[in-house]
Amino acid sequence: MMKPHTLFKALATVTLSTLACAAQAHFQILYVEDTALPRAQELEFAAVFTHPFVGSPTMAMEKPRAFTHISSHNGDKTDLLKYLRPVEWHSRENKATAYRATIPRDMMRSLGDHIFVMEPEPYLEEEEGLYIQQFTKLIVNVGGVPGQWSDTQDLPVEIQPLSKPYANWTGGVFRARVLADGKPVPFAQVEVEYVNHPLDMTRNALAEKGQVTAPQASFNTLSTYSDSDGVVTIGLPRAGWWGIAALNIGATKTYKGKPLSQDAVLWVQARDMK
Amino acid sequence: MKRLCSAPRLATVAALLFCQAALAHGPVFDCYFEDTSEVKCEAGFTDGSSAAGRKIRVQDASNKVLIEGVVSQDNTFAFEPPAGSYSVLFLGGDGHDVTLQSSDISR
Repeated sequence: MMKPHTLFKALATVTLSTLACAAQAHFQILYVEDTALPRAQELEFAAVFTHPFVGSPTMAMEKPRAFTHISSHNGDKTDLLKYLRPVEWHSRENKATAYRATIPRDMMRSLGDHIFVMEPEPYLEEEEGLYIQQFTKLIVNVGGVPGQWSDTQDLPVEIQPLSKPYANWTGGVFRARVLADGKPVPFAQVEVEYVNHPLDMTRNALAEKGQVTAPQASFNTLSTYSDSDGVVTIGLPRAGWWGIAALNIGATKTYKGKPLSQDAVLWVQARDMK
Repeated sequence: MKRLCSAPRLATVAALLFCQAALAHGPVFDCYFEDTSEVKCEAGFTDGSSAAGRKIRVQDASNKVLIEGVVSQDNTFAFEPPAGSYSVLFLGGDGHDVTLQSSDISR
């Protein structure tokens, strides 16, 4: 059976404008400048719901339901909601509410892996007539001491990294497993996007100019499926940020009387060898 | 004194703490003020192995040992900071020593 996103995309071939919509995916960005820290430092976060390859528009976020830090020290969990502050985030076409957070250095002092999880409020995508809720993970390492980066976090939907998300060379491959209620999801629809319009934390904006030009719209969002074990493998052909989203894999399928797509998102940072 | 990893401290601030880059089993060491009366250090290795039981020395500017102890099971070591400048030496094993200067320790 055709999934809602796919159905919409199939129908969206009538006009150029709707074709443009079909060629870009929604991604809940959870961003810090650097995920491989030599030493503990204060972290400046941005949480932006947008289309990272085309860099516009940005969708208004409500205050997330949860924002959690899982410490490298015994896996202690800290509620970070109090650190979130709404901001107006600018894109080429519009501005909309996003969130920033300043996480103090003392929370990052333990060596090893620090996992950040955001559960946003479902977003009503009016054109598609459905709600989208993307459970998003970002993993930051301090000092190079490996830790629990591959641990699952008991989320309704999540992407479990099988490679360290913070330690990737440009040109490498990245592997992850798509999970729903902790179980692998075979043949899940997976979308991959490059953050082609980098985040400008001083302006609360996505860069107006993209770093690369896609030869055709289907290159904006790369599409694949997890394999029979729920494993997805992607390439990292350029330094920067890569988002992986597994679509509509949650058990909860409706919200406020409309279809709900519970997606899992994981962010991966790639670095050039130089 | 053998300080294979302490030389970079003369050149940089942060890089001196971590000698892991070129080593399969490299030491990692950092200290910070837990409060005004206590410095807490954390030690580890880049392969994830434990530093528990490894020695730590707090030394004055002439390398006189002021405090000596071992890394605890949770890979930490805490001490009351001495007056004046001092250094903290993590003895991580053969070729795995790391020295941190008091000037690089903050909250």
